[in-house]
Amino acid sequence: MLILGIETAGTQVGVAIAGQEGVLASAHSGRDRRHAESLTPMIEFVASQARIELKDVSAVAVDIGPGLFTGLRVGLASAMAIAHALGVQMIGVSSLDLLAFSSRHSSRRIVTCMDARRNEVFTADYRAVPGGVQRITEPMVASPAELRGELVALKDDVLLVGDGALRYADEFGSIEHVELAGPDVAHPSARSLVDIAHHKAVREEFVPANELEPMYLRLPDAEINWKTRNDG
Amino acid sequence: MGLILAIETSCDETAASVVESGTNVLSSVVSSQIDIHARYGGVVPEVASRAHVEMLTPVIAQAMVEAGIEPDELTAVAATVGPGLIGSLLIGVSAAKSLALVWDKPFVPVNHLEGHLYAASLEEPDMPMPVVTLLVSGGHTMLVLQEGHGQYRLLGETLDDAAGEAFDKVARYLGLGYPGGPIIDRMAADGDPMAISFPRAMMNDGYDFSFSGLKTSVVNHVRKNPDAADVDVAASFQEAVVDVLVTKARRAVHEYGAEALCIGGGVAANSGLRERVLDVCVEDGLRALIPSRSMCTDNAAMIAAAGWWRWQSDGGASLDHGADSSLRLQTI
Ligand SMILES: [Zn+2]
Repeated sequence: MLILGIETAGTQVGVAIAGQEGVLASAHSGRDRRHAESLTPMIEFVASQARIELKDVSAVAVDIGPGLFTGLRVGLASAMAIAHALGVQMIGVSSLDLLAFSSRHSSRRIVTCMDARRNEVFTADYRAVPGGVQRITEPMVASPAELRGELVALKDDVLLVGDGALRYADEFGSIEHVELAGPDVAHPSARSLVDIAHHKAVREEFVPANELEPMYLRLPDAEINWKTRNDG
Repeated sequence: MGLILAIETSCDETAASVVESGTNVLSSVVSSQIDIHARYGGVVPEVASRAHVEMLTPVIAQAMVEAGIEPDELTAVAATVGPGLIGSLLIGVSAAKSLALVWDKPFVPVNHLEGHLYAASLEEPDMPMPVVTLLVSGGHTMLVLQEGHGQYRLLGETLDDAAGEAFDKVARYLGLGYPGGPIIDRMAADGDPMAISFPRAMMNDGYDFSFSGLKTSVVNHVRKNPDAADVDVAASFQEAVVDVLVTKARRAVHEYGAEALCIGGGVAANSGLRERVLDVCVEDGLRALIPSRSMCTDNAAMIAAAGWWRWQSDGGASLDHGADSSLRLQTI
């Protein structure tokens, strides 16, 4: 089983291809490259590095967010088009799951903290379980100050993971039982994506391309304004 | 012979189409978001992007099924790369490049404006050149002289509001709803176009357009005459817009020795404009190229038509192609 993984929810662009024996090839762009320009050539490159033909891919995995909207949708649109073109199923994985997964060997409570811009972060809590991580709170969007409040109130030792943790290090670094994970695990990784996707494929957790649900966590501003006007 | 699959996501329509040799439409699927945006009184970019992601794959699938072709029969995959809403454009471009990669076909980037210029050729395959096209939509108002495939001269464009924008703004002011174009068109049918004499800006002066003054006059007139019938205001406003558009287009046709007058863009679906263009062409012995209404508003068949000529002249583009929200028409 060959799985193509596409990750564009964060500031990087990542592509990986995994087979039965694990990751065959992967690439991650530097930060803040234009996602739409980089992604298709990167898929072509990773396929050639993995020495596979794209037509042999049997499932397409994609980061469904939360993340930065435009980049996220570049990945979703590409992944859905590829799955459709190949006539294969998809596997959706949350960016927060990916962040937590790369710290799965920690014995602490893993709190993900992804920069959502506008002085907010996307966050959810996880704990390590054999073979991966398990999410224990609902993904949500919060201000760094709100998340700090939550973290201070926690009894557990915490590993705080993600580019939001680094961006707002001043806010979180001073909490005694909170350790900040380093920049090497601060971005969702396409390697983690195909790794998780492989486990999901074994459990047959597939979705058809037209049923994949992006996880935005935020309503469009216009919708928020419209609701406020009509509820008030 | 060539088969182009084209994808169009520049604004609020998610569209895909398969066209043979630039003229024979095998399928044209358009999923409109008008109902989604109506409550906001205009297109909301973030809302549009979300809908594009949701609709695009089913729309592409339907276009391929209706065309009754297999991917390996395609010559190329084309997509609108601009101008338009950047977040929306990138969705179509990303999907098109992905399909091109997996199916091993060339990717052809298409200018949305060029698509509108080719809409008429889908129904009039032997489009005479040179031709003057009046391209009028919610985002654009331009007069283009086309001398050959891909050879354009921009004779004039709007200096402020686009024609379609003027319709939307007037409709909003009169409290008629969104989108303004079709609503005013319907009301104008019951009103007197001569009831109010609204100004025709720069009517005999060059080929550029200006509609912001007209919009202000409508507002002022309604303020001063609160009892004016909406249908008369709508009809007189539409008459003023059509008058300016067609007078200039007609002058351009004669100045540049064109044999045909062509219209395109969402405002080209307006009944008043269509009738006037037809009348002028009959009077002056010109060919009138008036696409059916569904080819005037945004669709992917026109992108496939323009893409076919683009592919023949420029071939495919690199897969690192992006989108450009303010892409201009390439002129000579
Ligand atoms: Zn248009």
